[in-house]
Amino acid sequence: MTLSKVPSAAREAAAKLDAPRRDALAELLLTMADDEFVGGFMDSEWTGIAPILEEDVAMSSIAQDELGHAKALYELLAEVLDDGRDADAIAYDREPEAYRHARLLDLPRGDWADTIARRFLYELADEARLASIGTGYGPLADLVAKLRREERYHRMHVVAWVERLANGGRIARGRLEAALAVAAAVAPTVFTRLDGEPELLRAGILSRPLAAADAAWRVDLTRILVPLELALPPTIEHGPEGRAGHSDAFRWLWREFTSVRRSEVGAAW
Amino acid sequence: MTDQPPADRALEGGPAGTLEPYEVFRQEKEGGPMIHGGNVLAPDAVLAVHYAREMFGRRNESTRLWVVRRADVHVLDDPDLLDPPLDRSFKKPGGYVMRDKLAAARGKAGTSKPGARAAAHDTTGRRTGGEA
Amino acid sequence: MTDPLALDPVLPVRERSERPWNLDLPHDERFAHFEAHVTAGGKIEATDWMPDEYRTAVLRFVEMHANSELMGVLPEREWIMRAPTLRRKLALTAKVQDEVGHAQLLYRVAEDLGKPREAMLEDLLAGKTKFHNVFHYPTRSWGDIGIIAWLVDAAAIVAQQALRDSSYAPYARTMQKICWEESVHIMHGRDVVVTLVSGTASQRALVQEALDRWWGPLMQMHGPRSDRSKDRDLHWRIKAKTSEELRQEFLTIYVPRIRELGLLIPDPDLRFDETAGEWRYTEPDWDELRSVVTGHGPKSQDRLEFRRLNRDETRWVRDTILAAPAVAA
Repeated sequence: MTLSKVPSAAREAAAKLDAPRRDALAELLLTMADDEFVGGFMDSEWTGIAPILEEDVAMSSIAQDELGHAKALYELLAEVLDDGRDADAIAYDREPEAYRHARLLDLPRGDWADTIARRFLYELADEARLASIGTGYGPLADLVAKLRREERYHRMHVVAWVERLANGGRIARGRLEAALAVAAAVAPTVFTRLDGEPELLRAGILSRPLAAADAAWRVDLTRILVPLELALPPTIEHGPEGRAGHSDAFRWLWREFTSVRRSEVGAAW
Repeated sequence: MTDQPPADRALEGGPAGTLEPYEVFRQEKEGGPMIHGGNVLAPDAVLAVHYAREMFGRRNESTRLWVVRRADVHVLDDPDLLDPPLDRSFKKPGGYVMRDKLAAARGKAGTSKPGARAAAHDTTGRRTGGEA
Repeated sequence: MTDPLALDPVLPVRERSERPWNLDLPHDERFAHFEAHVTAGGKIEATDWMPDEYRTAVLRFVEMHANSELMGVLPEREWIMRAPTLRRKLALTAKVQDEVGHAQLLYRVAEDLGKPREAMLEDLLAGKTKFHNVFHYPTRSWGDIGIIAWLVDAAAIVAQQALRDSSYAPYARTMQKICWEESVHIMHGRDVVVTLVSGTASQRALVQEALDRWWGPLMQMHGPRSDRSKDRDLHWRIKAKTSEELRQEFLTIYVPRIRELGLLIPDPDLRFDETAGEWRYTEPDWDELRSVVTGHGPKSQDRLEFRRLNRDETRWVRDTILAAPAVAA
C-alpha cells in the first residue's frame, strides 16, 4: 500500500533534514518502534491466560499500549522515510534479521516472573530513553510527550508486581531472582550505541548519549532494587550485536505474526 | 447479615486468604455524580485501583474512580426506614399545590399572572401535586 | 441522629413492607411476594432475600455465561499473534481482552450469589459445568476470525440484549455494559469480513469456507425450541426470550447482511415464510449440540486441558499475592 501524499508536519519537518540526519533519525525510530512492537507481541500473549482475570485485563491493556506506541513510531518513520511503505509494511514485511529490537526483547514470554522481570527492566530503560529525546525533531518530541503519559501507568503496574514477588515468599522471590538474572544480562542492550548517534546529538534529536541514559537507568533501578535486596544488572558493553542476531524465540514469533500476511502478499487485510 | 441492625449492615467481604471484592464508583464527566460501576477482586488496595481502571476506565469512559473495600460499605435498604408509609408530602416541592389558591389571591388583589421570567425556584402554578 | 432501631416498633410487623425480604413473614408468604414481585417486572439485588429456587437458577445461568466468555477467549486468542496489520492486532487483542473482562464481570455477579470463583473454575475445568457450543470448535483461518467476531458475537448480542431487562438487577446492569462493548466487536468482525470479500479470490474463499463451517453451530447456538410455559428461566424473568425467538431475530437481521456481501448460506431450505412471518430452515443438528456442550466437541478437551495447564502454571502467582499483601498500600 502506498501512502497518500498529504502534506504533514512530520513529512515537512523530515524533508528539511539532510540525508545523514534523516538516516540517523530513521535508525532511532526503527529501534524504538521494534522494541515496542516485539515487546508488545510477547506481552499480548498473556491475554486470556494471566494469573487472575483482573490482571489479565491489565496486562492486555499494557500490551495494547505498547503496540499503539509501536504503531505511532512506525507511522512517524513512514513519513520520515517517505519511500511508499506504510507503518504495516515496515512493521511486518521484513526478514527476521532486519528487526532492530534489543536482545532484551528477544527473550521468550516465559512464566509470570520472566515477564515481570523483562517488563520491569524494559519499562525503566524505555523511560530513560524517552527522557533522552530532545526537541531537535518536533514531531518526535510531541509524540514522546504522549508516550510518557501512558508509560506512567506501566511503571506503577510493573513496580507493584516486582515488589509483590520480591516480598512474596521463597518461591516467588526465587523465580523473580532467576528471571531478573537472565533478563538483566541482556537488558543494557536497549542502550546499544546507534551508528547515527553523533548525528542525533548534533541535531538535538537526542539530548544526551544513550550511555548517559543507561547511567540514569541504573540510578533509577538502584532506588527500587536495593531496598528489595535484589541484584543490579551487570555493566556490559554491547556492540552492534545488542540489536542483531535474534533468538529462536523471535524467529518463531516472526513466523507466526507474518503468516497470514505472507499467505497473500500485497493484499489488504 | 440479618442479625445485624439494619442501618449498619456491612456488605460481606471474601473469607480470609482470598481476593477481596472492592466496589468501584465512576464519574462519567467532570462535575457528574459518582455512579456505581461494579466491582473487582484484588489482593490489596493498590492493585484494586489498577484493576478498577481496567474494568471501568479502559475506554476513556470515566474521569474519576472511587474504589472502596466492599467490607467498608454500609448498607441501608430497609423500606421501613427509606420508604415510610405515612405522609411525607410536606418534605417535597410536589406537596405544595396552590394553583387555585393563587388564582383566588390574584382575584382578590386585582392583579394578573406574572410573565414567564418570574418563574423560578418553585412550581407553584402546577395543577397537580406530583405523586399523590 | 435517631437510632434506627428505635423506629422499629413504630409499625406492627404485619403492616410493614410486603416486599419479599420482609424477614418477619413465614417462608411461603415471602415466596409468594417474591414471585409476584419478580413476575410483575420487579428487580432483585444481591443483598435481597431470594428463594433458593431463584438463587440457583440465576447462578446456573450466569455461571454458564461466565464460563462461555472465559472459554470463548481461546479460539480467537490463537490468532492475536497472526493478525495481519497493526490495527487488526490491536482490535483483536482488545476484543479478547473484553471477553476476559466480561468473564470477570459475570463471575463477580455469580460470586455474589454465593459460589466462589475458584469453585466455578474448578467445576468448569472438571467438566461439571458447561460453556456455549460455539467455543468447542477450532479456528482454522483468518476468515474464522471475521466470522466469529461478526456472526457469533451477533448471535450472542441478540441473546444478551434480551438480558438487559433481567429480574436479577446486578446481571441486568452487567449486560448493559457488556452489550455496549460487544457492539464494537461486531463492527470489527464485519470490517474484517467486508475487507476479505472485497479482496483477492482466495481471501474471499476464506470467508465462504469459514461461514460454511460455522453456520451449523450458529443455528444451534440458541438451543432447541422450548415450551414457554415450562421454562423456569423465563418464569423468573432471568431471561426474556425463548431460543426460537432469538434465532428468528438473528436470522432477520443477519441473513440479508450476509447475502448483501454475496456470501452463500449453506442451507438450501433457508427462506422467510411471509404468511407465517418467520424463517424456515433445515432443522439444526441437536444431537451435535448435545454432544458438543457435554464436552465431546472437536476442541472441547484440548481447550479444557489448555486451561488446566495454564491454571497450574500460574497457581504460584495467585498463592503469592494471597499469602502476602505485604506491600504498604
